[in-house]
Amino acid sequence: MFTASTPALQSLRNSDSGGHSERIRWRATRHRRAIVAVLVLLFVVQTVLTWTTSTAVPTERGGLSQQARRGRQWYQEFNCTACHQFYGLGGYMGPDLTNVTRAKGKGPEYTKAFILHGTARMPNLGVDKSQADDLVAYLDAMAASGTYPIRAANLTPYGTYKEMIPDGE
Amino acid sequence: MESRDPTAHLFLLFAVAALWIGAFFGVIGAWQHVVPGVIDVVPFVKSRPLHVSLVIAWIFMAAVGGIYHYLPETVGVPLHSPALVRAHLAIFLVTGLLVVGAYFTGRFGGREYWEFPPVLAIPIVIGWLLFTWNFFRTALRRRTPWPAYLWMWATGIVFFLFAYLESNLWLLQQPDDNVVRDLTVQWKSYGALTGSWNMLVYGTAMVVMERITGDTAPARSKSAFLLYSLGLTNLLFGWAHHIYPVPSASWLRILAYVVSMTEWIVLARIIHQWRRSVEASLFHTRSFSYRFLFASEVWVVLNLTLALLISIPAVNLFTHGTHITVAHAMGSTIGINTTILFASIAYIIGDPVALGADARARSLGFWLLNGSLVVFWACLIGAGLVKGWLTVMTDLPFETIMNRARPFIAGFATSGIGILLGLTLLGMQVSRHLLLRVLGAGGREREEWT
Repeated sequence: MFTASTPALQSLRNSDSGGHSERIRWRATRHRRAIVAVLVLLFVVQTVLTWTTSTAVPTERGGLSQQARRGRQWYQEFNCTACHQFYGLGGYMGPDLTNVTRAKGKGPEYTKAFILHGTARMPNLGVDKSQADDLVAYLDAMAASGTYPIRAANLTPYGTYKEMIPDGE
Repeated sequence: MESRDPTAHLFLLFAVAALWIGAFFGVIGAWQHVVPGVIDVVPFVKSRPLHVSLVIAWIFMAAVGGIYHYLPETVGVPLHSPALVRAHLAIFLVTGLLVVGAYFTGRFGGREYWEFPPVLAIPIVIGWLLFTWNFFRTALRRRTPWPAYLWMWATGIVFFLFAYLESNLWLLQQPDDNVVRDLTVQWKSYGALTGSWNMLVYGTAMVVMERITGDTAPARSKSAFLLYSLGLTNLLFGWAHHIYPVPSASWLRILAYVVSMTEWIVLARIIHQWRRSVEASLFHTRSFSYRFLFASEVWVVLNLTLALLISIPAVNLFTHGTHITVAHAMGSTIGINTTILFASIAYIIGDPVALGADARARSLGFWLLNGSLVVFWACLIGAGLVKGWLTVMTDLPFETIMNRARPFIAGFATSGIGILLGLTLLGMQVSRHLLLRVLGAGGREREEWT
């Protein structure tokens, strides 16, 4: 694992000796440490702000009731994310579920039927009725938080789209 | 001062095994997209997490094994504690077996990419703490300034710990639970996790390049630190490009857009130095490690171009939630990370030259892997373009859209078999030599290779 005499190590030792150049290198190291420290400090600030201000939607939209929290746990226990997405995040075997409980022609009962019985493509996962109710509550909380996908977006010259920034921000 | 401890090689050996098994489940998962319900013994709900977790295990174990191998020579002292390395390996292996067992028996509970029961996060963190302790106790004994790759490894190690813990904070119930913040924090931690393993892998690429060329200057140059700083900035602040459509605070997403665009500097630099890279690759044509490093550079160009394009919100509107995201993920994990890690393993086992008894199998594996990956990558982009365009511009149902994309999906599933075959050839080659090294016959074997 450790060989003391490789050319790389010899070269490294040679390059690491010498008084003046050594001082310059240490000075550069101090500058580098300072840059990394500043970046990490900014990251800490960003982390705090992410946790405290990341919800652009009001808390009542996207907030989770006790039932919805149980639904989130079932969503993970049945590994629904392997096939489904929220806001396009997740597996691509099945459709995105962000607005499924509020979509035209669908709704909570439609969603519950799929969860309980599966389809030709979706296996019956053995979800019971109480779990299905919890899952629908979770999906409905997600549906209340926003809309996905964004159709007919208004593009800007800066490579963004107006719908990225919610009204009032 | 030569250590005969084979634990670093065992890390690499198990990493290769995880890669092969992970790729095998990836092929199963890909075909389940084409023929729903096929191979029902391992349904998609199990094959996907098996694939993802095992491939992530490959990246971490191969990177960590490499760091344990290179660190003593880099610092000039032996590892602080070889016993901790063995403990780390044992913890990872036992946890890995428990994770695989949980998936097979349908016991989930975690979130995407870490779908195993969350209690298994505890041994992963303990194992990582042992690695962190061993790394810093060794690296901080270096009396001279750190080269860029030591900075990269240190950054990757620390940020993995932070991001992994943050990705599990959902376990602590918050009074004002909100799905938008939940998604935002989840993807913040994933962005940092990806960035952290990239730091480990890119640091490894730098050290392998230094060893092959014998030139220590590049890893100590200003430009190496500039690239490191840029990578760190993107790790810290660029993650929100994953969540443009999520209605989180706008400043987060705009900041990510601006930060992501700084990577054009990296792309411009690679293109500027392209001629030099090609000349160097021709000079080192007999080095198998260098061949992999050069392949990774090609993949960096392709994948970085794709990443930059899909980080533009107006483009992301059409590509987000499509197979283009998968193309980017596969291009990064296979094209860049896996080729760099194979370069590292090839170097560690004696850098087999492009001659010798096994040369044909090695070359075939190399070209099969990279050639199949090109088709795989292109098919995923094709499927993503179809899905993205039809999703945003029409009201067609999901099934209809997926049927339109099916030829591309069949193409990516077929080329996935090519990738698996390439990995099989390469994996068999390196595993045999790693095994010989673990068993103590590595010295003789190395001479035979060169």
